[in-house]
Amino acid sequence: MVHYRNSSEAYGIIAQAFHWLVVALVLAQLGLGVFAASLPIGLARLQWLSRHKSLGLAILAVVLLRLAWRAMNQPPPLPGSIPGWQRRAAVVTHWLLYLLLVLAPLAGWLHASATGLSVNWFGLYLVPDLVAKDPELAEVFKQLHLALVALLALLIVGHAGAALRHALWLRDGVAHRMLPWKPRRKE
Amino acid sequence: MKPRALLLLLAFALVSSSAASEECYSVGAAGGSVSFELRQAGAPFRGAFRRFGGAICLAQDRMARIDVWLEPASVDAGLPEIDAALKEKEFFETARYPRITFTGNSGEARGEQQTARGTLEIKGRRREMQVTFSLRRNEGGPVVSGSLTLNRLDYGIGTGEWSDTKWLGAEVKVDFNVKLAAVKAPN
Repeated sequence: MVHYRNSSEAYGIIAQAFHWLVVALVLAQLGLGVFAASLPIGLARLQWLSRHKSLGLAILAVVLLRLAWRAMNQPPPLPGSIPGWQRRAAVVTHWLLYLLLVLAPLAGWLHASATGLSVNWFGLYLVPDLVAKDPELAEVFKQLHLALVALLALLIVGHAGAALRHALWLRDGVAHRMLPWKPRRKE
Repeated sequence: MKPRALLLLLAFALVSSSAASEECYSVGAAGGSVSFELRQAGAPFRGAFRRFGGAICLAQDRMARIDVWLEPASVDAGLPEIDAALKEKEFFETARYPRITFTGNSGEARGEQQTARGTLEIKGRRREMQVTFSLRRNEGGPVVSGSLTLNRLDYGIGTGEWSDTKWLGAEVKVDFNVKLAAVKAPN
């Protein structure tokens, strides 16, 4: 039976879809950003950075919808076997991930606004600027964007590492709460 | 009086009378602005030129002569890397073409609204064009302001990969607002 909402056993398929959609988009976005930033000034840089900006705003929108869904859906509790410090680490990591998934695109949007290189979302909609053009401010937002993304990448590695440990090593069902199939628990 | 001297006197009288009916002004960058706007990736992008000048002569409140120039190397788009790229061969090729010029020879006036016809030369390419602007007599001297729209491809601005108008719009709107300073008539 398909659960749309979260149950006490696992995340529902909506929460799972949000999670894996954000995984795919963020990984693509990190690759896109690093690639675009490596390009010299030229048409290709303009094209790839434009796509990066559009995708970033799409991620921001998806994450906000995800947070709204999350607010209405209590996550499935962790098994009692998980020590207290790990529970706290998980809560802090999850909320930091959410925070960075909002702040990193926001800093990118601020940077685009301050450089005067506004965004036309995938060529469909002219996105308003958040601040007026200001070269000095643009540099500040650029560094902020890079710092937030670096922190986000670090947390993603930690989060994925912990999930893999639960899925492959501990096999305690924690990681499988975010997977559409049942875990093979350790006997 | 010798006929030759009479002729000379007549010629001098003609020159000085035409000079008297013509008021000439110099155009300075101080207190004025020349800015441009075009679309990058579907979003408006703005910049300005900091160095421009020239001379304008009025006769009966009508443009009699316009001789203005602008240094494209003074382009200020708010981003050093973009300014540098704009000076390169694909855009203004400032090393070879240090000045953009407009030479007007005929004008019409309707109140404050002036229309001047002349030749715009950018990168060695000349095109006849008509420019409409207003001429206001302010306390600090006359002020000329208006705008013109041109197709950058007509002048070879943005060649090669940059001729892709989906990513870099062909249409460039130029806004100008300059103060005129009276030039003493040579008599």
